[in-house]
Amino acid sequence: MPKLLKDIKNLVRGLGITGKHLGRHAITIQYPEEKWTMPERSRGIVVLLSDKETGELNCTSCMLCMRACPTGAIRIDAPRGEDKKRRLISFVVDNGICCFCGLCEEACNFCAIKMATKYEFSTVNKDDLVWDMRKLQEMGRDVDYVDTRKKKPARADVAGPAGPASSSEKKPPADGQPGPDGAGQDPKTEGEA
Amino acid sequence: MSWPVAVGELHGVFRWLYGLLADTGLPQPWLDILTYTVLAAMVFGVLALIALYLVWWERKISAHIQQRFGPMRHGWHGWYQTVMDAVKLLLKEDVKIATRDRVIFFWAPVMCFVAAFLAYVAIPFGDGLIVADLNIGILYIMAVTTFTVISLLMAGWGSNNKYALLGGMRSAAQIVSYEVPMVASVLVVIIFVGSLSMVDIVRSQSGLVFNWFVFRLPFGPIAFATYIVAATAEVNRVPFDIPEAEQELVAGYNVEYSGMKFAMFFLAEFVNMFTVSAIGVTLFLGGWSGPFLPSWLWFLVKVLAVILLLMLFRWTYPRLRVDQLMEFAWKFLVPVTFANLILAALVKHLGWYW
Amino acid sequence: MDGLRTEEFVVNMGPHHPATHGVCRLMLTMDGERVMRIEPVIGYLHRSLEKICENRTYAQCIPILDRFEYVTSMSCNQAFALAAEKLAGIEVPERAEYLRVIMLELNRIASHLIFYGVTAMDIGALTPFLYGLREREGIIDLFEMTCGQRLTYNYIRIGGVSKDIPAQFVPQCRTVLSTIREKLHDYEGLLNENPIWLVRTKGVGYLAPEVAIAYGVSGPVLRASGVNYDIRRNDPYSIYDRFDFQVAVRPNGDCYDRYLVRLDEIKESIKIIEQALDGLPDGPISAKVSPNFKPPPGEVYSRVENSRGELGVYIQSDGGKKPLRVKTRGGSFNQLQALPVFGTGGLIADLVAIFATLDVIMPEVDR
Repeated sequence: MPKLLKDIKNLVRGLGITGKHLGRHAITIQYPEEKWTMPERSRGIVVLLSDKETGELNCTSCMLCMRACPTGAIRIDAPRGEDKKRRLISFVVDNGICCFCGLCEEACNFCAIKMATKYEFSTVNKDDLVWDMRKLQEMGRDVDYVDTRKKKPARADVAGPAGPASSSEKKPPADGQPGPDGAGQDPKTEGEA
Repeated sequence: MSWPVAVGELHGVFRWLYGLLADTGLPQPWLDILTYTVLAAMVFGVLALIALYLVWWERKISAHIQQRFGPMRHGWHGWYQTVMDAVKLLLKEDVKIATRDRVIFFWAPVMCFVAAFLAYVAIPFGDGLIVADLNIGILYIMAVTTFTVISLLMAGWGSNNKYALLGGMRSAAQIVSYEVPMVASVLVVIIFVGSLSMVDIVRSQSGLVFNWFVFRLPFGPIAFATYIVAATAEVNRVPFDIPEAEQELVAGYNVEYSGMKFAMFFLAEFVNMFTVSAIGVTLFLGGWSGPFLPSWLWFLVKVLAVILLLMLFRWTYPRLRVDQLMEFAWKFLVPVTFANLILAALVKHLGWYW
Repeated sequence: MDGLRTEEFVVNMGPHHPATHGVCRLMLTMDGERVMRIEPVIGYLHRSLEKICENRTYAQCIPILDRFEYVTSMSCNQAFALAAEKLAGIEVPERAEYLRVIMLELNRIASHLIFYGVTAMDIGALTPFLYGLREREGIIDLFEMTCGQRLTYNYIRIGGVSKDIPAQFVPQCRTVLSTIREKLHDYEGLLNENPIWLVRTKGVGYLAPEVAIAYGVSGPVLRASGVNYDIRRNDPYSIYDRFDFQVAVRPNGDCYDRYLVRLDEIKESIKIIEQALDGLPDGPISAKVSPNFKPPPGEVYSRVENSRGELGVYIQSDGGKKPLRVKTRGGSFNQLQALPVFGTGGLIADLVAIFATLDVIMPEVDR
């Protein structure tokens, strides 16, 4: 008999716990009318950043992001010209393969690639997920970023040390002004720490 | 009136409708048949609306218990979501297994729906709002709500699927087992009223709130509690919904149904829920009686409160295993309700109640 | 009844099933309603992660191994980072160690909240799932604020962690922890003493400690059978030996104790995180590791206490910048191995309860 009363009391207690939620307001938001503000470090789609004044791409085709990507989602075609400088021809990111790890953003020393906080890019066609340089630049136009590149006069033969990929802050980039056609420096990437 | 079943005094709606249709000048038997047909259609319409409303109510209640919103898109807070769901189910392909038992497969959902609606002949929606005040009211309702068992077995057998058959048989066993404590709880009230007619039962609770049987009878609360538990099991709801739980292997009797046939089972479950709540309200909570507001509004409010309780059960408790379910019915509920009944009969005989 | 012929039949609790967490196929041999034999068939989620890692540098292996056990991917990161640091002899700075512990324990709480919700859902109570996930949202928001992702974090790196916590992390973390502590009363009130819950989980699926040890079962399942073994205590890694916490152990090995052990662990994790937040030092968050990390040749095995048991990573290095062989070991594999031994004899409903309280995550089994 006492066990029965205890059981009934516990059953009613359970009802009370769910019942008291009936008086509370719901905590969900109605997407897409209301959208959550994403934290600024949120890793969304990959975008290419452009210089704030000139509007040109910051990318110097150093290929560090391509080397850092674990899934091979970034494909860069930047052959060297006769002056031994790389010219960026195509920069393709396959968002279907990208695993949103953020290693490309950490590897870049030139504030060229960033994971923006946008996340709405679903399509019905898988080929539409492969974004070329133009689309990446366009998606990155309204992305705000802190420009940490050190602007020095362009020097053709300096190769600076590559920044370590595991440090949190962006180390001062290799010297050299990124040119309008991406023909920048090719910093040595084989150096040991 | 010369019907084989003795009907109580002609009640409000019937009398009004009869008077209306008497102007058409039809001969006598046809006039009665026409009146009853129109009444049946009205009740059917009201119940269909109630079933749709209850589905929406369940989704909203479950959502707010879980601190989310539920349906929001179709209408204000999604009030016509169920209509759209019904339209969607109508448009779905009616998948028929080639090896089904054609007759039984087709008639099982029909049977379920019919069994659900038959009980509404004798349920009072308000003062005078009853189709026929049979003097065997509650007995008729108890008898007729058992027809759902036949439809479950038909559904299980007709699907030609051993899991559906198992689910159907389990469901049938559960309903039949829980009929016994349900009827025993109902009998407690009948003993004190002295009549099986639903209108008489409500009339004997009129007056103050404390005249309701749940408070008045010496064993009223126990009878009400056991009635609610048995009623939850009758309608196959958690914590007794093993036959239709997805997490079990045996997916239930309606696994092979799709489209409108499935909608029939689904809506019949909600109509059944309304039925058992309506019976509970009529027997224990005073039916339609209450001050100020119209009687049908009181009835609806009380039934919705009981349904809210059933929904809270569903969203709070885990489910019982099949053997535990049967054990609970036969080893706990049946002795308790019979003891309650015997004590109630003793009390009535000795005149110790108020 | 002697002449009655009965036969056992095989039923497939297929890869797609609401009650198997992930794609696990269980072939059940049933005698009537009782489960006589269980044969798990795995491999539906095999993604050859270990082979992929052989072609990636050490830094790139970390996001790959995030997906090894994605519910607690901080521990996967940690196990790999520990192994690589052991190989190369890297010393992790103090602040990084504290941050690692905070993230690991937060992830443990999040995983146990999912366990709570999913187990309750399998046994029939549908609301605790939403409640558990509501609290988990608070933790996931903390992770998103720090590293940017909600599920596969890529946060704990070789040498430390990748990003420092923002300014509002500590106060928000304390708020989240106090909310969880208060909601735990709700969770316990809803299920712990509920007679239906007790009758479904008490005495069901008894796992003897000898059987558990023989099959290599670890984690909360082992501790619910009475064996007091926790890698954080018995073989401490990182700075766990500095914190004061109890190891949650329960004597009976049934489903109810497996459920209770995890609720206890949530409380202990909250204690650890609060101690770590109080003692968080300043300093660098990572050691200097070159982008071309080349550990010396050798082999190492490192293990961490995951919310599912022992998560171990074995790395064999030949001195190059890609590992020669990476082998991962997850706790769910051993628990699934032990399931046919102790999961039989009950009804299917019991099997569903046992499988739910084992908290098996299929990617850990299949890799």
